[in-house]
Amino acid sequence: MTTTPYELTYPRPRRSLIPAWALQWATWLLVVTVIVGPFIPLVYASIRDRPLYEAGGVLTLQPYREIFGDSAFWHAWGNTLVFAALTTVIAVIGGALVAILCTRTDLAGRKAFGRMILLPILLPSLGMVLGWIVVWGPGGYLTSMFSDRLHLPTLAIDTIPGMALVEASRLLPIAFLTCQAALSRADSSLEDAARSAGARPLRVLFNITIPMLRPALLNAATLIFTLSIAALGIPLLLGTSNNIIFVSSYLYNTWTNASTPDPGSVSAGAVMMLVVATLLLLLRNRLLGAEARFVSVGGKSGRQALLRLRRWRWPLAGLLFTYLVFTTLVPVLGLATMSFVVVLTPLVPPWELLTSSHWNVLWEDDAFRRSIQNSAIIAVVGAVATTAFVALATLVAHRSGFRFRRTLPFLMLYPRATPGIIIGIGFFWAYLLTGAFGDAMRDSIWGIMLAFCVRNLPLAYIVMYPTLARIGEELDRAGRAAGAGWWRTSRTIVLPLLKPAIFASFILLFVEIINDYDPAVFLVKPGTEVMGATMLAQFIQGTVGPVSALAMVQVLITVVVLAIGAKIFKIGVAGGEHGA
Amino acid sequence: MPEIHVQNLVKQFGEQRALDDVSFTVAEGELFTLLGPSGCGKSTTLMSIAGFQHPEAGRIAVGSETFFDAAGRVAVPAEQRNLGIVFQSYAVWPHMTVFENLAFPLKVRKLRKGAIRTRVLEVLELVEMTPYEKRYPHQLSGGQQQRVALARALVYSPSVLLLDEPFSNLDAKLRERARAWVKELQHRLGLTTIFVTHDQDEALSMSDRVAVMSAGEVQQIATPEEVYRRPANRFVAEFVGRVNLIQGVAARTAGGVVVDIAGSPLRLTVDTPNGASGPVTVAIRPEAVTLTPFEDTTVNGTNTWEADVGTVAFLGDHYEYEVSAGQIHLTVQSSRLVPGDRIRVHIPPGACAVVE
Repeated sequence: MTTTPYELTYPRPRRSLIPAWALQWATWLLVVTVIVGPFIPLVYASIRDRPLYEAGGVLTLQPYREIFGDSAFWHAWGNTLVFAALTTVIAVIGGALVAILCTRTDLAGRKAFGRMILLPILLPSLGMVLGWIVVWGPGGYLTSMFSDRLHLPTLAIDTIPGMALVEASRLLPIAFLTCQAALSRADSSLEDAARSAGARPLRVLFNITIPMLRPALLNAATLIFTLSIAALGIPLLLGTSNNIIFVSSYLYNTWTNASTPDPGSVSAGAVMMLVVATLLLLLRNRLLGAEARFVSVGGKSGRQALLRLRRWRWPLAGLLFTYLVFTTLVPVLGLATMSFVVVLTPLVPPWELLTSSHWNVLWEDDAFRRSIQNSAIIAVVGAVATTAFVALATLVAHRSGFRFRRTLPFLMLYPRATPGIIIGIGFFWAYLLTGAFGDAMRDSIWGIMLAFCVRNLPLAYIVMYPTLARIGEELDRAGRAAGAGWWRTSRTIVLPLLKPAIFASFILLFVEIINDYDPAVFLVKPGTEVMGATMLAQFIQGTVGPVSALAMVQVLITVVVLAIGAKIFKIGVAGGEHGA
Repeated sequence: MPEIHVQNLVKQFGEQRALDDVSFTVAEGELFTLLGPSGCGKSTTLMSIAGFQHPEAGRIAVGSETFFDAAGRVAVPAEQRNLGIVFQSYAVWPHMTVFENLAFPLKVRKLRKGAIRTRVLEVLELVEMTPYEKRYPHQLSGGQQQRVALARALVYSPSVLLLDEPFSNLDAKLRERARAWVKELQHRLGLTTIFVTHDQDEALSMSDRVAVMSAGEVQQIATPEEVYRRPANRFVAEFVGRVNLIQGVAARTAGGVVVDIAGSPLRLTVDTPNGASGPVTVAIRPEAVTLTPFEDTTVNGTNTWEADVGTVAFLGDHYEYEVSAGQIHLTVQSSRLVPGDRIRVHIPPGACAVVE
């Protein structure tokens, strides 16, 4: 050694130009603005006697009196609650059973089932409802085939139980993922202990495993209940023929058929829905305990003794396979076929009715073509922007000394509990009140993009937080000790380590945004159409073929993007949806 | 090399007092150890010095520079403190090579490329890691990662070095080597160092001075020998090394302080610098007691008792005896085997420390 370190002195690191606190405040304010912002004008609109853009309004509870006095509104609530309760029961029981089968038994092909079962939640929800209608709806392909030709009973999906079944098949993966996570982090020595105490495997399952799942079941049930209350596509597409109205479709119909535009009663109804959703979110937070929500590692996985199904191994697998075929594959195939035939009917073989005209419409009709273009732009830009922003906000929430950091996790999860239609109404009013900025947003696709981004932002947080929690805090402390400020440490140390989650978040957001529709129904204008909103509007007008083709476009984009994502980064297909 | 002044730190975590009036001064070039069980506040103290925790009260200064002063509302951000830290997990950035890890602090200080390269290679040589320059952390062993962490903490000539349980993730053999090596390096570079550990062997063998902490308070600050031989209180006596505790009532006599042992006719003469009287607890290290055969009457006089042998265990380099002289039970370490069921024990008055 010629020099010892102490013969050298280095310049002290300079403070960065933008102080960390400024960046943290800016991030926090933006989160608060986009998440809380839209609800303020919504509440305000609900207590005025005329729309916000009309001068001279007075504060009044008239909108509430009006909507609370309408028996149809209460009837819609009744329908909604029955529907949501049924959906929850079916999805939670189904999801838990599949989770137990796939993680705790030697079911044939359980790994593959564990992946395939996730598809319904990732496929475009509106498109899947259309697929169900084409195949299982009144006059649908298989309905006609079974009832008219084979004289078999079929399920009537245009009733409340039927609608619940359709929605449950979409939301079942949430219950599956929650239970699967709980099962795989549960300490299997608890089960081993019961085994060595002399309990038979099946008894262990009922006395130990299932009781351990209780928190997970409650968690999944609350989330599924909240999400199904917000369902809009199902009541609009399936409920109309039997005149079954839900709260969401009640609000939608009242808004679109109102004699005076933008009635306050819709805002009042939306506020009530928001209150219900918020209460459910708070209930869920209570159930979960603040932190347990995201416990992602721990427990000893691996050498768990699997329950041996013996002769049930294959029949149960067959049953699960049939379920997947009928609820996922058949609707998608129905959509695909529908998009290529003039009419889909069991009376004439489809190949005699082939046509490419539905697909041609997608390129020839301005509204359809623009929908695809707009959706693609919105999904790419929105997914990139939201991922970047949420990454920053997650760092502020969990890796900074920012004063209000603890408010961020709740804020970022809040839109998950909020019905999309309400986010839509909220942004509608927010844009109306913000002058030139609002006008620019309303007249362009960016207004819809912002609403979609806010709606789906919780997913990005849910994907990123568990990964961040696994990156040891000493790594960024080491960066700070080495002289780098908060932002430089975040940029050069934490964010690079977060890369896999950032990528997974982008993929998930892209898929969710490109398939989203309900926040847009109050925001679309000619020129700013997006795929989902176009499908809804066109289907209600009776245009089935081109809508099926458009739904297939969504399905194809979704499947291709997910496949690419899974290939590059082995994202467990669903990212972190389970924490949702 | 500056001194480190820590004055009256108080830190509350909810109901619990994590730091309760913690004060000490670390001299230039000294290796100062914070020793205590987990949850005693040693890591909180270290992280307060580093700038990752902010106490509610107190003051921290390095040299003439005040890093933290609750009263004066001073809190220099961690990145401006210019301290070198080695974390328990090493915290070697996994997405950067060894070279990049070391270069990062210098890049932050805006050194030119050439200067960075020269300096990084120099420090890599210092920690004997030159051949691993291009490796990623996952390609290194635990001991090598630790050297990289140390090199990264030294590369920018920090004003002081903070070590947070740096050896706890190494296996026993490697740990001993690493201790000797770090101690040697610290001495050679003359680094003022604060070292946090829960391992008493580590603390005793490496430190110039030790602060023993418990429940957020400093129990004793002294050299390793003093802490061991003259523990300030019962906690220190029991935490640092093994100890026999004897309770009794002390009184001053012509021959020194004599303790009337509770529940026994025996008396214990104690050589204590500060004197003592009233009820006391006396601490005696197992290896300070000598055992002789019962027949050997040459050993007699002060603090020599007859005792029965309970159990004897062979522990490689010594024998461990459980003996009882009447009601008094003692654990004794003896380098040789003493024959017989009845023996004589001798406790040198100088080996008795009054701890309460």
